[in-house]
Amino acid sequence: MAAAALCWALRAARKVLPSPCPGQVRSYYVDWRMLRDVKRRRLAYEYADERLRINALRKNTILPKELQEVADKEIAALPRDSCPSRIHNRCVLTSRPRGVRRRWRLSRIVFRHFADHGQVSGVQRAMW
Amino acid sequence: STSSVLSAEKDKSTSSKGSTAEGASKRQEGTAETPKQKLLDIIGNMKVEVSYRKKLQELKASENKKQDTNRLEGPDSEGPQRPAEGIQRGKPLNPELVKAASAVASSLPLNKKQTESELLAQLRRHEETTDKQKKGETINIRNVISEMTVKKQSPAQRGVRISSRISLELDDDGQRIRPERFSSQAFNSKRYFFFFFICRSLKVGKRLNIFTKASTEPEHALKTVSSPTIWDLEFAKEIAVITAQPPRNGFEEMIQWTKEGILWEFPIDNEVGMDDGAEFHEHIFLDKHLEGFPKDGPIRHFMELVICGLSKNPYLSVKQKIEHIEWFEKYFEEKKELLQE
Repeated sequence: MAAAALCWALRAARKVLPSPCPGQVRSYYVDWRMLRDVKRRRLAYEYADERLRINALRKNTILPKELQEVADKEIAALPRDSCPSRIHNRCVLTSRPRGVRRRWRLSRIVFRHFADHGQVSGVQRAMW
Repeated sequence: STSSVLSAEKDKSTSSKGSTAEGASKRQEGTAETPKQKLLDIIGNMKVEVSYRKKLQELKASENKKQDTNRLEGPDSEGPQRPAEGIQRGKPLNPELVKAASAVASSLPLNKKQTESELLAQLRRHEETTDKQKKGETINIRNVISEMTVKKQSPAQRGVRISSRISLELDDDGQRIRPERFSSQAFNSKRYFFFFFICRSLKVGKRLNIFTKASTEPEHALKTVSSPTIWDLEFAKEIAVITAQPPRNGFEEMIQWTKEGILWEFPIDNEVGMDDGAEFHEHIFLDKHLEGFPKDGPIRHFMELVICGLSKNPYLSVKQKIEHIEWFEKYFEEKKELLQE
C-alpha cells in the first residue's frame, strides 16, 4: 500500500505517463488544481469500500447507537480527500471548473472549438 | 613421399589380406605386427615438412583398412578390442593406432602431448563417422537432391520479381518506380500452381533425417540467469521500440487500440470484465457466509439486510461480496468488548 502510494506520487508529480503514440503528448497536468483533483479521485477510489461499509453502519436504525457513534468517529478519521463529494468535474484539457459538459468532459470553449472543426463525433451546428 | 605412403599402404593392405587366410588366433598378432611396423617405418622415413593433415589422412586410411580387415575376419577375434558396435564414444581405440599416434606426435616438432591427444580425438571421430556411414545414418546427398525438382519460372513471374526488386529505387523526383502490373489473373493462377507444386513435393517422399529431434534438456531451464542485466533490459527496450512501428493505416490503428483496451471488441459484449464464472446461486444464497455471526440480536438482523442487498446487486463479483461480509465480521469482532456492556 505504501509502496503503491509512493510510486503513484513519484509518477504523478505534475506529470502524466507519456504514451508511445504519435501526435501531441502532454507530459504535465494543466495546473495544480487539476493535480489535486486527480489525487482526490484516486483516494476516493481507494477508500470507497470502507466508506460504504462504515456508512452502512451509521445510517441504521437496528444497531445500537454506541456503535453508530464509534462509526462516526471512524469515518471522520479517514483522510479528507477520500470523500467523493470533494471531486469536482473540471475540463480535461483546460482544467476549467465551470461550463463543463459532463458527456465530453470538456469546457464549453474547447467543446465549441473541436465541434467546429468536426472533431467531435455526431455533433453539428444547430439550425432549424 | 606421398607415393611411398600409398605404396606402403597397399603393401599393408595386401599383407593384412594375406594374413586373413591364416589361423584365427595367429591372425591377430600377424596383422598387429606388420601394419604397425610398416606405419612406424613410414613415419620414420617421412620428413617433418609433411603436413599435419596428411598424417591424419594416413592414420584414418590405415584405420579404415584395419576396420575392413577386422570386419572380414569376424567379430570373434575383435571381441576384446571392439566389444560392441553400438558403443560410440566409450569405444577403446586400437592400441596400434594409439602407438602410431604417439609416434607421430613424438616425431612432430610441436607440443607432443597436445598433438597426441588431438590425434587420438581425431581418430575417435573418424571411427564414429565410419560407423555411422556403415549404418547408413548420415545424410546421403543423393537422396536429398532426388526429391528436388527444378521449377520453371514463367517470364511474367520473373519480370514481376525483378521489377519488384527494382521498385525500391527512387526516381529523380524522389518517387518510387512502380512495378508494372501484369494481368493479375494469369499471375495468380501461375503463382497458385507454383505453390501447389511446392506443397505437393513437401509431403511426398521418404524421410531424409536431416533434422534430429531436439532432445528435452532440463539443464537449459536451470541455466537461465537469475536477474537480467542492464544490458539485457536495454536490449529488450530497443527491440520493443523497433518492433512497435506506428500504424500504417486506420485499421492498424484500431487494431492497436483494441489490443491496448482503448477500443471495445465488436460485437459488443456487455459482460466483458464482469464474468467470473460463478453461478447464480453463489450470488444469491449468501447465508453460508453468515456462520461467524451470532444467531440472535441486532447484528444478525443487520447482516441479513446486508446479504439481502448484496444478493440483489448485479454489479459486484462474488469475491467482492464475500469481502464485504468478511469485513463486517472482523469489525464486529473488534467491537465485541464495546458491545458487551
